[in-house]
Amino acid sequence: MTAVLEAPSESRVSSQVALWRLLLRDWVATGAALVLAFVALVAAFGPMFVGDEAAQQNLLDANAEPFRLSDGWLNVLGTDALGRSVLARLIVASRTTLSVAVPAVLLSLVIGSLIGMWAGYHRGRRETVVMRIADIILSFPSLLMAVVVLYIFSPSSANLILVLAITRIPIYLRTARAESAELQSRLFVDAARTFGTRSSAIIFRHVLPIVLPTLLTVATLDFCFVMLSESSLSFLGIGIQPPSVSWGLMVAQGRTYLQTAWWLSFFPGLAIVVTTVSATILASWARLATDPAQRWRLTLPRGRRGRRAIRRAAEKALTPEVQ
Amino acid sequence: MTGFLRRRAITSLLPLVAVLLGVFFLARLTGDPANLYLPVSATPEQRQQFIEQNGLDDSVWAQMGDYLWGILHLDFGESLRTGESAATMALRAFPATLQLAFSTMLIAVVGAVIIGSWAAYRPNSIADRISSFLSMTAASVPDFWFAIIGVWIFAVGLGWLPTSGVTGGMASWVLPVATLVIRPLGVLTQVVRGAMVSALSAPYVRLARSKGAGDLRVVTHHALRNAAAPALTVAGDLMVGLVNGAVVVETIFGWPGIGKLMIDSILGRDFAVLQACVLLTAVSIFVLNILIDIGYALLDARVREKVSA
Amino acid sequence: MLSPPSPRKPLLIAAVLGAALIVSGCTVANSEYVTGGGAGGLRIVLPEEPPTLEACQSSLTSTGVVLRSNITEPLVERDADTGELAPKLATAWEQTSDDTWTFTLRKGVTFTDGTPFDADAAAFTIDRAVNSDLGCEVEGYVFGDTDLDVKAVDATTLTVTTPEPDPILPLRLSFVEMVSTKTSTTEKVRVPIGTGPYEVADWQSGQRLSLEANPNYWGGRPGYQSVNYVWRAEGSVRAAMVTNGEADIATSLAPEDGAGELAVAYRNNETTALRIQADQPPLDDIRVRQAINYVVDRNTLVKTLFENLATPAGELIPEGIVGYNPDEKVWPYDPAKARELVAQAKADGVPVDTQIRLIARTGQFPRIAETIEVIQSELAKAGLNVKIQMMDTNTQLTYQIRPFPEDTGPYLLMIMHGNQAGDAAFTLDQYMLREGYQSSWGTEEFDASIRDAEELKGDERQAAFEKLWPYEQEKVVQYAYIAHMSAILARSASVSYQPDSATGDEMRLAEMSPVS
Repeated sequence: MTAVLEAPSESRVSSQVALWRLLLRDWVATGAALVLAFVALVAAFGPMFVGDEAAQQNLLDANAEPFRLSDGWLNVLGTDALGRSVLARLIVASRTTLSVAVPAVLLSLVIGSLIGMWAGYHRGRRETVVMRIADIILSFPSLLMAVVVLYIFSPSSANLILVLAITRIPIYLRTARAESAELQSRLFVDAARTFGTRSSAIIFRHVLPIVLPTLLTVATLDFCFVMLSESSLSFLGIGIQPPSVSWGLMVAQGRTYLQTAWWLSFFPGLAIVVTTVSATILASWARLATDPAQRWRLTLPRGRRGRRAIRRAAEKALTPEVQ
Repeated sequence: MTGFLRRRAITSLLPLVAVLLGVFFLARLTGDPANLYLPVSATPEQRQQFIEQNGLDDSVWAQMGDYLWGILHLDFGESLRTGESAATMALRAFPATLQLAFSTMLIAVVGAVIIGSWAAYRPNSIADRISSFLSMTAASVPDFWFAIIGVWIFAVGLGWLPTSGVTGGMASWVLPVATLVIRPLGVLTQVVRGAMVSALSAPYVRLARSKGAGDLRVVTHHALRNAAAPALTVAGDLMVGLVNGAVVVETIFGWPGIGKLMIDSILGRDFAVLQACVLLTAVSIFVLNILIDIGYALLDARVREKVSA
Repeated sequence: MLSPPSPRKPLLIAAVLGAALIVSGCTVANSEYVTGGGAGGLRIVLPEEPPTLEACQSSLTSTGVVLRSNITEPLVERDADTGELAPKLATAWEQTSDDTWTFTLRKGVTFTDGTPFDADAAAFTIDRAVNSDLGCEVEGYVFGDTDLDVKAVDATTLTVTTPEPDPILPLRLSFVEMVSTKTSTTEKVRVPIGTGPYEVADWQSGQRLSLEANPNYWGGRPGYQSVNYVWRAEGSVRAAMVTNGEADIATSLAPEDGAGELAVAYRNNETTALRIQADQPPLDDIRVRQAINYVVDRNTLVKTLFENLATPAGELIPEGIVGYNPDEKVWPYDPAKARELVAQAKADGVPVDTQIRLIARTGQFPRIAETIEVIQSELAKAGLNVKIQMMDTNTQLTYQIRPFPEDTGPYLLMIMHGNQAGDAAFTLDQYMLREGYQSSWGTEEFDASIRDAEELKGDERQAAFEKLWPYEQEKVVQYAYIAHMSAILARSASVSYQPDSATGDEMRLAEMSPVS
């Protein structure tokens, strides 16, 4: 067991090159990576090209149906209730969406995981205090916090990120705590401790690499949760304030038109789904790829028989390691 | 065990008070409710009278003291909106939410374990890919889509189910539970699958296999148990979310639960009701967390046993 | 040892706990669900549950729509179509001196608790609603801080005296719903005892409110023996309930909610407008306020977002209210002129670049968010720096009602005003006077003309009110009126009912009957 878990330290450089090759072998994961890259590019450069079109209202051409090229390619996804191009708005919204969701997820991920690992590693009173703080945040009505911060202060992006991040911190905190509490009793951590390694070093060198894949899985799933939370804040008018636009806001505003103009909330919703699913696929692929015990699965040749043969071989090869 | 419970109950008391205090102060930051409850043309004297009647003119600390004193006498205050006792309102709404939460989690856990294990049994296979894809999509689709589209298809279109409400017997449960279950099912399936993939390739599982344990037995007896810990964490968090009230579902389906009550009392600046709701949900969440920790302890004991074996 | 001793324990515990909770929960809730049923009765779905049915809160929309003229009744009621007052619990009334009105009450009416309705009961109710410390909504809405002197002369004669002559006192009293003398005077009650065609049979908070016909009603049997109210916040669900046959009437729908052929649109009394907080620069410059008026494209808004269910407005009250000017002048849409006015103001040193907030309330009316975005974009084109801020009701009200918050900077406020009373005085007092509770601006001259007009009666009153609207548009410009609105309800084919402009505040069940 120990041997397997300590394995990742071997030759970093070569394994990175191999990662790329592995990625290209897996067409689903490659697709997911391409989608994410595309979304990032659109968010970075798209608004430069269609920023004006996204704000251009034309009430006389409101709720035009999608998939018709007669009104020009910008209206290919239809127009919204104010006659603005849904496509252009999707593009502009991608930047706002990512600039709220990514910092919110990262912030809660970093803060939650660090505190969680620290608490789980030390256990005892520190752990209790941290866990009870997590309980406080979890049982606190997040909506009340949102209302206070966003009505009483201002509904700015920074405040939005803050509210979303705080409410999600306990999720990482608890996950990281649970895993690192289990790890700290393991042999290799004990060994490091007896050699006098500082606890922060043990956490970063030994605990983090093992906990990280799980945390990243949670984070990618959380990514969509944050986007949808932002959307539900828009129902109360405390999300992104128009004329700025995010996918969540588009979904929220289009909801009332689900029956008459489904495309208003369908396309932004689809954007959220596609982005999150791609992120999750890539994360679960990365989880396999960075886990030496699992990596062989990705190197399998296509076809059933070959795969089974190789798996048997791999299992045979690994079995003797068990104590 | 009893020692553990006692310790947990004591260490939970302080956070509970912290939640209450936090809600108390934050709620009072949202502005005094006079505008909502007094007529638009209320004179300054009427305003002052309203504020005094509701004890909002004291310092926040004095109000807090009064409130805590009231709680000790099981007096949770009165609703500004309805004039009823706040505790009555919260207690009336909570069972509806709990029922939804438990039915949802039961279905989600059972479903996730079955689908997740099946997918993990052959990682990267077609079955795995399809179930992963579906569960990821399920986890990221806005819930009101399901709710509204479900109403059209199954209530308006096919006429199989009532659109909303709680008076239609079991049939009225289908749409709310189905809407609620989708995200937890998606997330949990992902978690179970991930944990199972690791567990199935862990040394002791391989050992069990090499000793001739059947596939099904390996999955159910060995791997699943090891995958239970992360699933328990995530399921616990999801459950906490549900206990706090499923606002969207309760709103759309007219389900008289605590989520809707909390939103209404926040928007209505109905502080007493809000505090009663939070107290109730917070206590349940603390109890839930204790249950989860007991679950961990049991799992842990077995994990330890196994490693030493 | 690979198979541990008790593998299923935690799962078992969880399952038992879960099952126990579900079972216990079910029994708690189901006992409530099963009772009562709407079979054969009328089923109405509202957007929200009435917070209370306290009679003196009847000017709250969500209370009044259930309560008024159904459970309790006033002395006189206003006919929404003609604007005339009609007898209800009073059969006649006249102004017997400058400051006193005398009412003759209907004979043979009893409350549903058996107590008779007489002058004492009427005096009791008016005292309770207007002169007490209950803090009733009605008191402030209709009477301001005026106290009334109420006397029961004999069993059927009541006199009401006001400190100042009040030509529209009967109209004001049409908001006071009569309750039994057994009603508490020290606290508000959730379920009132009235004289109306229905009484409350069963109120399952959060779920359902059932009314039963009052067997001893003086006005004869209503069309339905029982009426069930439920509430759903989501418009499309309300509409679906009617199309699906789960409800007969659904109120407050938006055009896109999908009620289809069952949708009935009707004019309500609501008028939307932007209130310009004119004491703050740059809005204190009349050219800026005029520019704002020139860029609100009312005709296009009405044609598109409001789906022709509204009409462009040039005053704050719609047709049918005393004081409405039929020669209503709507500001033309002229962005070029607006830009020019802003540029002129800028040249004179007016800080037109200051950020102006455009404040609206979430869910104020259907498509509020879209409307606000259109207005913001037009204002920006005129050269103003406008930022949208959506608020919840309580936060928005702090900006709408005096005392206004301090240090807010300039803001424009989307308001929707519904004159429930039928007389422009209710609107003018609050929205037009310099010190009005919902007014931030005015002139001394305008105040004086309003006060003079309110002293008048009959045709003179109408003529004097009519002149005020053009004056406001030319000299004061505190408002950019937008449109006189409509509402939509869904009505099942089995119900005969025609909504009128007062339906949103008062939905008379007695006017509903099964289609035979």
